[in-house]
Amino acid sequence: MTEDFNAVSEDDLHAYVDGALGPRERVRIERWLDENPARAEEVRQWRAQAVELRALFAGYARSDAGDRERLSRSSGTEEARQEPDGQDRATRSRAGFVRAVAAGFALFVAGGLTGLYAPSLLPSGGARPSQIAESLPRQAQSAFLVYASEVRHAVEVGADEQTHLATWLGKRLDHPLTIPDLSALGFSLVGGRLLPVNDKAGAMFMYEDGSGRRLTVLLGRNADNRETSFRIDESDGVETFYWIDGPIGYAVTGEVPRALLQQVADECYRQFEKSEATKS
Amino acid sequence: MSPSRNGGHADAGNTPASDRFEEDVLALMPALRRYARSLVRSDADGEDLLQDCVEKVLARRAQWRGINLRAWAFTIMTNLGRNRHRYTAMHPQVALDEDLGLEAETRESDPLERSRLERALNGLSVENRSVLMLVVIEGYRYQDVAEMMAIPIGTVMSRLSRARHQLAEAMKDDNVISMRRPK
Repeated sequence: MTEDFNAVSEDDLHAYVDGALGPRERVRIERWLDENPARAEEVRQWRAQAVELRALFAGYARSDAGDRERLSRSSGTEEARQEPDGQDRATRSRAGFVRAVAAGFALFVAGGLTGLYAPSLLPSGGARPSQIAESLPRQAQSAFLVYASEVRHAVEVGADEQTHLATWLGKRLDHPLTIPDLSALGFSLVGGRLLPVNDKAGAMFMYEDGSGRRLTVLLGRNADNRETSFRIDESDGVETFYWIDGPIGYAVTGEVPRALLQQVADECYRQFEKSEATKS
Repeated sequence: MSPSRNGGHADAGNTPASDRFEEDVLALMPALRRYARSLVRSDADGEDLLQDCVEKVLARRAQWRGINLRAWAFTIMTNLGRNRHRYTAMHPQVALDEDLGLEAETRESDPLERSRLERALNGLSVENRSVLMLVVIEGYRYQDVAEMMAIPIGTVMSRLSRARHQLAEAMKDDNVISMRRPK
């Protein structure tokens, strides 16, 4: 009995409801449910839910007379600007992507162990960041929420005018800019826009991967001119890595696994550093 | 449970002929329309999401690997649905369900039940809702959902669990209220 009790997990119950178990497993779960009426009642509710949900949306699974027209209307509407390159992402498999994320995570853990990403990458009770640093992730998250959902007007200047974009935003930010290249991580530039950050002109770049997931990189002037390590801020599923490097604060935001966002932040940091070095 | 009703043809390596590709997408429209509607709050939002998804699928056809068009299109829809949800969460509006005449005709049960279930669904986070719909309505295996959403299978299970418990709870609360009301 006790053994049985431990052997049936929440996951088993879902797999039972979703028909994902073999006959022997099903029998095992059914026996267990006989002895656990409260859970049996839950399982009954989940099954009823499933039936009702299927009924609720079944009627939408149909073709519409306008579908063919909708398709031809869509062909070629989404301009080439979202696809600045015909890169090898076409061949990048989903499984490869999952592996890359896993590898990134392994790296991240290893880095944590060796102190590579050391001091305060994980939120810890260290020194409080200044008020500006505090508001940077909030502003970055608002910008992400507002613009990442825009299909057609996510950016002011598209990736096809990358040089112009860098010069223009660099001038407004009063800081020479290079636009990070994140293609190695599967993200291509959509474009950028001018945004107020800390009440001054700031810059935002938007990236997108093959499945439409978006990331933003935000840059803003930082008055107190100091340096911080990487910090993480999470709000409602939107994660932001941010750091301040002298006059500029940086924030990388997205709804992607933290390990991937970390890789992106690392990559941006590396590329911004490099461009600083060559300029000075 | 069959994991993948493969809507695509598997000729990886060749650039798919565009006519054939569009025909395949066309064949997926019913499934995509249903999934779109299952992620949002109104018929109009469902059609909007479907349109965005079709545009994206066509614009990104070069990135399609040539296998399982259905899963690929569903992944794109999931991401678009999430982006859209983020936006509406920040800009809450009264959900005006302009009736586009798309409602399920075959539905027999009480319209009150229907709206009760929809309200309960609208209380779910978009992540939990997507997992529930992919599993329950679209019939994807847990492993498929994990790959489509690029999350670990443990996260799929916890989202599914949260969705089911929350839905059951919401429906139960409603029951209590409607039983008290007559007195």
